[in-house]
Amino acid sequence: MTALGRIWGSPYGKTTLGLLILGIYLFPVYWMIATSLKSFGDIFAVPPELLPIPPTVQPYIQAVFNDPFVLRSIINSAIISVSTLVLTLVLAAPAAYALARRRLRFTVVVIFVLLLAQMVPTIIIAGPLFVIFSQVGLVNSYLALVLANTTIITLPFAIIILRPFFLSVPQDLEDAAMIDGCTRLGSLLRVVLPLVTPGLITAGAIAFLMAWGEFVFGLTLTTNEQLQPVTVALNEIQGQYSTRWNNLMAVSTAVALPIVLIFISLQKYIVGGLTAGATKE
Amino acid sequence: MTSQAQQAQSKGLADRLRSVNLSRVGDYLFLAPAMVLILAVMVYPLAYELYLSVHDVTIAGSAGQAPFVGLEQYRAVATDPAFAQALWVTVIYTAGSLFFQFTIGLALALFFNQTFPGHGVMRALMLLGWMIPLVVTGNLFRWMLNGQYGVINLLLNLGPLEAGRAWLTDPTTALIGVIVANIWVGIPFNMVLLLAGLQGISLSLYEAAKIDGANAIQRFLYVTLPQLRPVIAIVLLLGFIYTFKVFDLIFVMTGGGPVNATTVLPIYVYDVLFEFFRFGRGAAASILVLVLPIIISLVYLRLLRREESS
Repeated sequence: MTALGRIWGSPYGKTTLGLLILGIYLFPVYWMIATSLKSFGDIFAVPPELLPIPPTVQPYIQAVFNDPFVLRSIINSAIISVSTLVLTLVLAAPAAYALARRRLRFTVVVIFVLLLAQMVPTIIIAGPLFVIFSQVGLVNSYLALVLANTTIITLPFAIIILRPFFLSVPQDLEDAAMIDGCTRLGSLLRVVLPLVTPGLITAGAIAFLMAWGEFVFGLTLTTNEQLQPVTVALNEIQGQYSTRWNNLMAVSTAVALPIVLIFISLQKYIVGGLTAGATKE
Repeated sequence: MTSQAQQAQSKGLADRLRSVNLSRVGDYLFLAPAMVLILAVMVYPLAYELYLSVHDVTIAGSAGQAPFVGLEQYRAVATDPAFAQALWVTVIYTAGSLFFQFTIGLALALFFNQTFPGHGVMRALMLLGWMIPLVVTGNLFRWMLNGQYGVINLLLNLGPLEAGRAWLTDPTTALIGVIVANIWVGIPFNMVLLLAGLQGISLSLYEAAKIDGANAIQRFLYVTLPQLRPVIAIVLLLGFIYTFKVFDLIFVMTGGGPVNATTVLPIYVYDVLFEFFRFGRGAAASILVLVLPIIISLVYLRLLRREESS
């Protein structure tokens, strides 16, 4: 083995190489943050300045804090995402429990429908949903977005993620609870749910991440900008800031920030859940 | 003795409870709320799509009064050159994205499958590219691919390549630009699933191959790849489905332009529905677009079942 080969082959050589790969891969994220901290003049420097020196928060003040449209859309996204999260868990937990406890005759059918939901391009459902919601007066309401997000995007995923967690709770535990006088619902709430808390955190976190990043329903089911989520707002201010890339990157960073924070703090739960949800059944 | 009897008794009681209390009705009640929503907001709209596709609906609020036009909408879509072009762009977009995100993802999975200080944290941080909202990623790559000041051109300039290519506004390179962004998003997804597959391969297989004198490349070709085959099939299928449905990224980066150079099928459907407000024709296009993922999902289910039985 050559000297170089020995260096890269050693554990710390691999760590160095790993950091290098990570650095190259995450460079776009760094570039977004760096641009957002530059003044208007500095973003056009040739060659580009790798570090935003001196850093300025002016883009954030201008494009986020002093822009009522952007602020409003952040609040909208928070309302929509949290409601989606809650509705998803309330519906997914009992459903996943039932699908885990019983070999229901149509379990296969249900899972197939859930799978189908993940595969259909969102815009294809958005068309008829827009027509239906127009007829019942749901266009331009938070409810429309929460219902669409939950049903098409988060609920199927959450059920698929949660089912294995319920499968791992022994039936005997529930039987014991029922002998002690618990009802079926009582044993689910008091005995089973506490045991699947990690699953609920995983499903809840992923539901929030998905709802926060959702764009197609926001774009098609709302026309009133007072109700639009932040992803739609970000798309709309593109034109307004045609060359003010620092402002645009400031809003982009603000949109990505909750995702990054939640992802880093709940990383252990999310990583496993994403893999499971994408492959199992 | 007594505790044994008690156990037997409680077991009998538990069995009785199971048969009485855990009746099927109960199960359906737990499942019902989720199913009602899925029926109302997913299955019904898909069925309603069929209705729309044989009517000439241009005003969403009064779709019920729209005239019946038979298969005219399907004929119009199928003979629309823009639809054929969107299909072709989708094929290139999907194939180009899949090839690179899979090969890069596999290389990274092999690398991060090794044990070294910090490998777990690094692996997780790689997922950030997948988690960031696509609208953000799209904007970010629009900036990086900018002709005059984009960092990608400036980096390419360090080498012998010509400067100042406006990637996204040039019809010959716009598709490359959106594919690059999609590859970036797809790498972690491929990496994580392949990594899970690699960790399922028994180490004893590698030891046996080593004893037989297989070198690293041979071990990869004759142990890793065959063992990973079912996972590879699933990763490629899921990658196909997820790439096929991408809308946000392209919509934000190019809006489908310039001159339809990046109009994939979902963008085509959007334009018909929400630019031209032809809800009937858009529904027909949607159904034609749906056929592909349905076929693929059936293949996917079959593969899963085969993997489970083997």
